[in-house]
Amino acid sequence: MSRFWTQALAIARRDLIVEGRSRETVAVVVPFAAAAVFVVPFATDALDVRLATLAFPVYWLVGLLFGMQVALRQSAMETPSQRRQLALLGVDPVARFTGRVLSAAALVLVVLVVTAPLVLLFYDPEPIARPWSMAGVLVLFALGLAMVSTLAGDVTAGLATRTSLAPLLIVPVSVPLLLGAAQALESVVRGRTTLPWVLTLVVTDLALAVTGVVTARALEESNT
Amino acid sequence: MSRTIPRAILGAAALVAIASGLWLAFTSSPDVFQGDYVRILYVHVPGSWLAFLAFGVTALGSAGWLLTKRMAFDRIAEASAEIGVLFTAVSLFTGMLWGYPVWGTFWDWSDPRMSSTALMFFVYLGYLALRRSVNDPIARARRSAILGIVAVVQVPLVYFSVTLWRSLHQGMTVRPDGIAMDGSMVVALLANIAAFTLLYLYLMVERVRLARVEEIAAVADTELAGRTVAKPNLEGLS
Amino acid sequence: MPGPIVMLDDVSVRFGPTTVLSGVGLQVEAGMVVGVGGRNGVGKTTLLGVIATLVPVAGGQGRVLGAELGTDGVRNIRPRIGWSGHEPSLYDDLTLQENLHLTADLAGLSREEADDALGRVGLAAAGHRRAGLSSNGMRRRTDLAALLMRRPDLLCLDEAHAGLDEDADAIVGALTDLTCRRGGAVVMVSHDAARLRAECDEVLILDSEAP
Repeated sequence: MSRFWTQALAIARRDLIVEGRSRETVAVVVPFAAAAVFVVPFATDALDVRLATLAFPVYWLVGLLFGMQVALRQSAMETPSQRRQLALLGVDPVARFTGRVLSAAALVLVVLVVTAPLVLLFYDPEPIARPWSMAGVLVLFALGLAMVSTLAGDVTAGLATRTSLAPLLIVPVSVPLLLGAAQALESVVRGRTTLPWVLTLVVTDLALAVTGVVTARALEESNT
Repeated sequence: MSRTIPRAILGAAALVAIASGLWLAFTSSPDVFQGDYVRILYVHVPGSWLAFLAFGVTALGSAGWLLTKRMAFDRIAEASAEIGVLFTAVSLFTGMLWGYPVWGTFWDWSDPRMSSTALMFFVYLGYLALRRSVNDPIARARRSAILGIVAVVQVPLVYFSVTLWRSLHQGMTVRPDGIAMDGSMVVALLANIAAFTLLYLYLMVERVRLARVEEIAAVADTELAGRTVAKPNLEGLS
Repeated sequence: MPGPIVMLDDVSVRFGPTTVLSGVGLQVEAGMVVGVGGRNGVGKTTLLGVIATLVPVAGGQGRVLGAELGTDGVRNIRPRIGWSGHEPSLYDDLTLQENLHLTADLAGLSREEADDALGRVGLAAAGHRRAGLSSNGMRRRTDLAALLMRRPDLLCLDEAHAGLDEDADAIVGALTDLTCRRGGAVVMVSHDAARLRAECDEVLILDSEAP
């Protein structure tokens, strides 16, 4: 295996082992996301408003906001001495970015997969004829969110305002992801083609990947 | 060894009680309106009762720790909260299973009992998440104790929600003016409540014992850490 | 390798509007141990960061292991630089062994070399312990094991002896000797003037009051 992928997979494995032991995502963020799905109807008159119409918007918003929180989780943040160590080990900054994205995307997918049945249960939306056709959309959404969140985390690393500044940077840039994923789901429900929206997600992911690759070195220099 | 036998007896008794309760549940009369679906309630109601009991014990354990600072109370509070969360999940799940054929829906937002029970579930999930996030035992006990006492306010709210708010949920079955159930159903219900309570006691005993073992192991591990550090071998370095 | 390991000429460093270093000159030849001393806050660690190619210079010029500071060439020589400070770079939720395996994977070394290094520093029986639950001494030894494994040509020590017991101190000494024997060099930052005098071939004292 090439040195690049050895390093990227080592970084991803590190992040997932740390998450497996700290359980910040599984024990805190995922229950928080589930609670958010549950409490939204309390903000409406659930008996008069057709909750089914809120189902999919709530799903994607919860996926965005809590997926972002997963990617920015504290246990994934590297200390200055750890960043110095990675630089002196000659870790390719793009490999580091790739590894971080892979692990973050996996955890974002956990949030999406866990909240999906809860939305179906609490909101009773229109049935989705081919739910498996959304698998690719979920993966593209998770990858895109992981990339933009990893970038925002690196841009704001070490700043006192990181916890509020990073989400502020992520949310507007995530609009194409939100649009593509939400419209793809609507298309599946209505029996229409999802191609334009899948392409939107693919193009957005590619743009984010290129941005990550191009800025990786500069961000490493500024954070080391 | 001397403590193992009573624990084993308690476990066996709980097992026998659960088996008996389930037998009664399956052999009792079906309900006039719900038919055989009523049998789900022989698990659902004890699950809810256990959750209330467990969270009440958590609050008592929390108060006990705040007053005495004895870690035994914290272990009790933690164990009871874990069991309470488990049986709240059982209650919610069996409630949904029962709700679909009887109400026509797994979840109904017009029922305050369901909503408030789910809220209680999330709050105690937060309690467990808080405990997991704090490494220092004293700080963990203090913060959990405060949350454990505040959170128990939900228990009476959940229990009385069926009378406080217009609800789809069944009203109170056991009332001051009598019990609105057939005799065999009452027997099955009470037997299962007793069985689940015995199960709760057994789980508590085991979980508190495990917590104590974990504490001892953590201290022993610290004391032994130094023994795993050997003199360095720096000869022949090149 | 021809030429000095480190050559700094009239180097200055600024963090925002603040000048941290000014007019610093240093030459470290192969096989040398050079000490850097001075009062707290005078910029010793910053200078070490410049030498490790991690802190950009605002003025002057320098070469480290043949690479010009401020150019892309420093990326190629960074794997030949090792750093040991009082703050270990371990991941708390990984075991000591897993931390070392991660270093080996990232550095392109074998896990057997990592296990050997862990044994060398006396932690073979402690490798299963999580870093966050290990003593600072064990964490520091693991950091030193990583350096033993990597065999850097330039060793940067930032108060590396602080808080170490006699055995761990010996590991730092062995690393220093090994680096110099192999034709590398060591730059050691310390506020312990006696240690600098005893262990270093030359000592640079940074002084913010000097003209």
